[in-house]
Amino acid sequence: MPTKTNNKKPKEFKVNIRFSTRTVAYTILILGLISLATSAFYASSILAFIGLGLTFWGALLLYITPTRYVKLDLLNAIAPSTLANIEKMLTSSKLNEKGIYLPPKYLRDFESSLVFIPLKANQPLPRPEEIDEEKLYSKNPEGIFLTPPGLALSRLFEKELGTSFTKTDLNYIQNILPKLLIEEMEIAENTEIKTESDTIIIEITNHIFNEICQETRKLTKTHETIGCPLCSAIACALAKATGKPVTIEKEELSEDGKTTKIQYRILED
Amino acid sequence: MQIPLSFWDISLWLAVTSITLLITAELISPYYGQTNLHINKKKLKNAALTTGILFLITVAIRIYGIITAP
Repeated sequence: MPTKTNNKKPKEFKVNIRFSTRTVAYTILILGLISLATSAFYASSILAFIGLGLTFWGALLLYITPTRYVKLDLLNAIAPSTLANIEKMLTSSKLNEKGIYLPPKYLRDFESSLVFIPLKANQPLPRPEEIDEEKLYSKNPEGIFLTPPGLALSRLFEKELGTSFTKTDLNYIQNILPKLLIEEMEIAENTEIKTESDTIIIEITNHIFNEICQETRKLTKTHETIGCPLCSAIACALAKATGKPVTIEKEELSEDGKTTKIQYRILED
Repeated sequence: MQIPLSFWDISLWLAVTSITLLITAELISPYYGQTNLHINKKKLKNAALTTGILFLITVAIRIYGIITAP
């Protein structure tokens, strides 16, 4: 005997967090205004205090509600595929050398960034007139040009700071980077920068890109050549600020898995 | 019909609110590892500082009143 199937879809109970927060805020605000109006009518100072408090906190709740937040899992799910493509490209091109983050003077667009991966070690850098942001392969010297995976992030840093890294120097980066990563963008819990002649060591603790960086470590060539998106973004910033080519020498995770130590080297032109 | 709050009532309210907001803003600062709270901390800090400054202005007005009183 055929059984009846229920084709009705189950009701979805979606709670829009932002919507509910705003609703609560508006309710508090309206209650506060009503209370203030009533206090004026009955000349009650207690009602006036309640009204003032509710109005203020309602308005504050509306003001401090963030624009939009997405789950970290979503971010972690998007990045690896792009990095896997870079890995494929590097493997098929048989490139093993460290990627060199080029400073703006090598590029047509000063606000852009480009990483050059040479075919052989100790090759000279390509001349500025030979560099084309649209081009993938370089013939003289042999190698490839790639858009750094952290370019968009470094642009976001610039947007947050309200200045371009090209207008800054290494001292500025040294001073502003901890504040930017911890306070402004809330990417990490702690950041330390040490400079030793041409080497810059940055230690970032408990950053939100930890999982992406761990995924990048599995892609050996990408990890060795270009680095994870966060390391790449800082390399872009350093290349722009110093005006010199930069490489990511080493990137390692501490034993407790919380701190990422990145070693950059500033090359001479 | 008028709001039954004097200038000093508002000054007291501002003092309490600004202390509450300043302590909250400091406690939820990302420097203490609070990076998973879904509020705009920069705006909260600005609001805390604004109420604090408003309270200080009321204090300045009071001091000026005491000094200039005959």
